[in-house]
Amino acid sequence: MRLLIVEDDAPLASGLRRILEAEGHAVDVTSRGEQAVLAASQERFDLVILDIGLPQMDGFEVLRRLRTGSADKNGPMPVLVLTARDAVEDRVHGLDLGADDYMVKPFAMPELTARVRALLRRSQAHGGPRITHGPLALDTVARRAFLRNEPLELAAREWAVLEVLLGKVEKIVSKEAIIQAVAGWGDDLSPNAIEVYVSRLRSKLEPAGIKIRTVRGFGYMLEEFKGN
Amino acid sequence: MAARSLRAHLLRMLLPPIAALLLLGALVAYYPSIEPATAAYDQGLVDIGVSLGAYIRPVAQGFRLELPSAVDQVLRRDSYDSVYYQVLGPQGERIAGDDGLPGPASDNGDAIITYDTTYKDQNVRAIALRAKCGDASCRVVVAETTVKRKRLARDILFSTLLPEIMIAFATLLIVWFGVKRGLAPLARLSDEIKARSPGDLRPIDAAGTPEEAAPLVSALNGLLGEVAQSSRNQQRFLANAAHQLRTPLAGLQAHTELALAKPLPDPVRAELQQVHEATTRTARLANQLLALARAEPGARSNAAQVNLRSLAEGEADTWVHQALARDVDLGFELEAAQVQGDAFLLREALANLVHNAIEYSHRGARVTVRTGRRGAQAFVEVEDDGPGIPPAERERVLERFYRVPGTTGTGSGLGLAIVREIAAGHGGSIVITEGGTAASEPKGCRVAITFPHG
Repeated sequence: MRLLIVEDDAPLASGLRRILEAEGHAVDVTSRGEQAVLAASQERFDLVILDIGLPQMDGFEVLRRLRTGSADKNGPMPVLVLTARDAVEDRVHGLDLGADDYMVKPFAMPELTARVRALLRRSQAHGGPRITHGPLALDTVARRAFLRNEPLELAAREWAVLEVLLGKVEKIVSKEAIIQAVAGWGDDLSPNAIEVYVSRLRSKLEPAGIKIRTVRGFGYMLEEFKGN
Repeated sequence: MAARSLRAHLLRMLLPPIAALLLLGALVAYYPSIEPATAAYDQGLVDIGVSLGAYIRPVAQGFRLELPSAVDQVLRRDSYDSVYYQVLGPQGERIAGDDGLPGPASDNGDAIITYDTTYKDQNVRAIALRAKCGDASCRVVVAETTVKRKRLARDILFSTLLPEIMIAFATLLIVWFGVKRGLAPLARLSDEIKARSPGDLRPIDAAGTPEEAAPLVSALNGLLGEVAQSSRNQQRFLANAAHQLRTPLAGLQAHTELALAKPLPDPVRAELQQVHEATTRTARLANQLLALARAEPGARSNAAQVNLRSLAEGEADTWVHQALARDVDLGFELEAAQVQGDAFLLREALANLVHNAIEYSHRGARVTVRTGRRGAQAFVEVEDDGPGIPPAERERVLERFYRVPGTTGTGSGLGLAIVREIAAGHGGSIVITEGGTAASEPKGCRVAITFPHG
């Protein structure tokens, strides 16, 4: 994946570059907002990591130009905003301008890489009909699932629940959100019913090392696949 | 020094001159009116004396007073006073009348003499005049007691003093209530200032305050403006400090994590692990200090309707990942809980409670976050089944930089102090109890913050 880091603090920028390169991405770094706008107008990045506190043109302005300029002609580029300020208005402002996620400095690197993965996955999911997660693959057009390249039988509602969870790997999905996504099919669904579908999914996926964690009183989280 | 009442002070200042004016007014009114009044009574005595003189008749051995007893009775008749008289011959011998009535101190010629003296142990007013007896002249003295004179003096005094006293009282009443009325705008002003929250540094509305209080209001507004300005400067400094601290810390964290991902000799790895932990701790400490500074009274507040449930839901993702890293089972029991407050600070308070519970719990521990309403109060509480906090320590853990002796973990001792500060800033309070339900064995620790429901 092609990533653009816009960060004026050299040690942080180089650290981020090396961490993301270690994840297998091609990373460009610039310390100036103007250059970021220029670069994004010339080629498409799969993700822009944007610091708000830049000299001269600040991150908000860069974000505004990315969203209003020609850079987004092939759909909006995902933007992860980094901020050292904690004022609530800054977060809201950033999200209002079209940032996809934000992180307050300093942050633990695993959290950053997890969010980068989630954003990249999301932008891919929009693009392609095929969602993969470790040994699991979902063909959303043909509505067929494969585990270790073997066809996997899923009931319609199991499919719907799995699709919701796959859309937010490593994020908690509340039971209400799952019910809303699944209950488009007419009848009411109780939280207990969701538990049943999740437990069926678990018995099918866990042998392959795919774990669905229960977050007590809240919902479920599909964990990052770490191998068997 | 006790505050002096302006009213009492004004009255104390006004009382002596009013009393002096009262006295002076009474005197000024009294003397001009008492003189003509007593002169009229004196004239009555002179009339009696002249009448008596007309009854002196010459006889062989001198003179005698041939006064018919009816006339004597008429002359002496008076409703209030006793009237005395005496007639003396040319040689000073007593011809008639009351014996021993004192004559005038000096006897010079024909003028009528008026004087005060005593007779039969009473104060009397007397006149002395000359009456013709043949070729010579006799002295007639008439005196009367002073009952009606005193009564007259008293009446005059009362009739002049009474209105003056009433005027004086009216003046004092007017001052008393007038000052109260006049100071009412100041009282309103002080009520408005008292009703303010410590963070409210808006200028005071000068409308409705009297001209005299305008300098006070403008001085206060000047001060408020300066305080607000310095608070804004402090906030700006905090934002800058936050930026300046956090960015290099993020870089430091990134590089130590990169280095740790490489194959390293064990001693170097151990050292680097220390560096990494110290970095994480410093980052957290920086965040906490900034939060503490932001929670200070007077800092700019972003008051809004905040639902503690939504706040917890929004942070659940981050917290669950922190809990997973320490193998802690983090659960939620969330109900709507509306609070009026600063979302950033409330989030920081919640994050501190959750972080503490995760940090000080054993592996495999259960931590539960609850929000909701109890009666008129919104609450958030975090319960763990860890070692708990001994009752004797529960108050002290809320102090800044205090840590329970023997505690492991990397805390700064600031977390609960921040929570308390933030709770207090929102009119709430923090309570630490044992965890567990009433039915079960008490264990672990439950920290609850209650807020007025917003």
